[in-house]
Amino acid sequence: MQESCLSFSPISSEEAGFFKLLELTPELVTLIEEGTNKYSYAPSLIVKGQPGEDAVICTVDKTYSMRTVDLSNSVLVITPPPDAFASKFTDTGVVIRDQLNEIIELAPIVPKLHKLSTLLRGREYDDEEHDEDASSVRFRAASFTYQDARELIQASDAELNRGLRERRILNINGNLRPISLTYLNQLLELVLNLLVSLSQPHTCASVEDISSALANGHEVPRVVSAQVMSWFGDIHQGKWKIDVDCVIREVGLGILRNHKQEPVAKDIFVAKWTSLVGDSFEHAVSLPLLAVTHLSSLLQGNYLVSTIQDKKYLTYFPASLLPIDPAARFSTLFLTCPRWKGDEILPFLSDIAVNNKERDKLLLKHCRAITDSEGVWYTARAQYNG
Amino acid sequence: MLIPITIAHSSSEPKLPPGLAKISHDEIVLIELQGTLEVESNHPKERNGKLVGTLKIDEITDKPTLLIGHHLLEGKIVSLPKPLAILHRSSVRSSVDIDSEDDVMDGVLDFGEKEEQRSPAWSVVGVVKKKIIFSKRPMPVKSSVNNS
Repeated sequence: MQESCLSFSPISSEEAGFFKLLELTPELVTLIEEGTNKYSYAPSLIVKGQPGEDAVICTVDKTYSMRTVDLSNSVLVITPPPDAFASKFTDTGVVIRDQLNEIIELAPIVPKLHKLSTLLRGREYDDEEHDEDASSVRFRAASFTYQDARELIQASDAELNRGLRERRILNINGNLRPISLTYLNQLLELVLNLLVSLSQPHTCASVEDISSALANGHEVPRVVSAQVMSWFGDIHQGKWKIDVDCVIREVGLGILRNHKQEPVAKDIFVAKWTSLVGDSFEHAVSLPLLAVTHLSSLLQGNYLVSTIQDKKYLTYFPASLLPIDPAARFSTLFLTCPRWKGDEILPFLSDIAVNNKERDKLLLKHCRAITDSEGVWYTARAQYNG
Repeated sequence: MLIPITIAHSSSEPKLPPGLAKISHDEIVLIELQGTLEVESNHPKERNGKLVGTLKIDEITDKPTLLIGHHLLEGKIVSLPKPLAILHRSSVRSSVDIDSEDDVMDGVLDFGEKEEQRSPAWSVVGVVKKKIIFSKRPMPVKSSVNNS
């Protein structure tokens, strides 16, 4: 039988509150254990939050919410005595470093990227920009940099970078500027035309040729063209492999965006879409055939379908402009349309749930499901409390 | 505000006695008590370094016992439902503290405000998957009195 004398640490009063217990998820255990074994020095966990916000903890690519849970029991943190005091204790002596009554629970959450659009309002970048280099001082005064975003946005680096890319936000010399979407579409059309006129293959186009053509012929700064190209494909050793679906999607969105109020007939939309992307990619994809499936897969969560006299009409209705709070999101959805088919409502929920399980929980909480011959329908759950 | 949490590695820290080290982590062990350790003192500093009791782990049955004064607690080693990372705030102030011990106390009592300016540095000192839990009532004992 082994005995250890248990004492209070000689510095326990100084160290009160210096220990915290963090409940780990399995992937965090792996991350920390690997960090311990591989001697990686970079901090791979960061707590982020402004005063008044709920703090989150970020790994390189994930975000977790932090919640303090009180324990009715107390937990003692026991270690060997600190080196400086070791002589005062026996060999088997151990000390109580801290006494805790709470642990921090972690739960994966969707990164809080929506703040970006508010923070970057009024900083759009469009084609008039390059004429006013001199007046760019007015932006510098209130610039919002990548570093600012890292501090203010509660998201991991990978999620932030992806968010910037998905929101089409340019990083111009460190300053974040969302590109104006009309300008982005003009640029894309320019690039698609250039691909044809320079006879560049879309699987392996020269970045240099395209950016110099854009810079000389259309006064597009290289920093802008390079980032736009990287959003729509992979750049590897000066060659640009275009992500065809991604370009087709953005062009489609460009057309759809004009139809926020007035619906567009589906066949007219598809014809317009095909003609815009057709020239460059006609070898790669047979568009008329694909357009119909593309519509559902690529533009998911961006449009509503309505049927008027047996003709289908589309309206621009992007999930990204809907409220972030689940309750508000559902009430907006049900105001727009009282009954949703199961597979039609899902695209509008993907950005507020971490995974499908969480999404289904939200559906259960906020909707009433009705199953008939056509499948599952969702309607609003009666809200008696207003 | 960003608070980086580093992950401590290469353990040069002193190790626990073998009986405790084999529970989960060789430098840290968690003990859960039903209730708290209350120490009567005029100043929280008074208890520093004072003996609390004797912790024993039976080598055969792995049963932990904790003897505090005349009270014997019997416990058990249980797996945690979810592993816990133990975070420790690096003693950024320790070099300053040695100079003036009074300041240390002031610092501790109102560190909520003082720490605002200084960025606290936290590190994960260990991941623990098991704990010792003493959930029974203490039994009074007569023998082996080695109270402090």
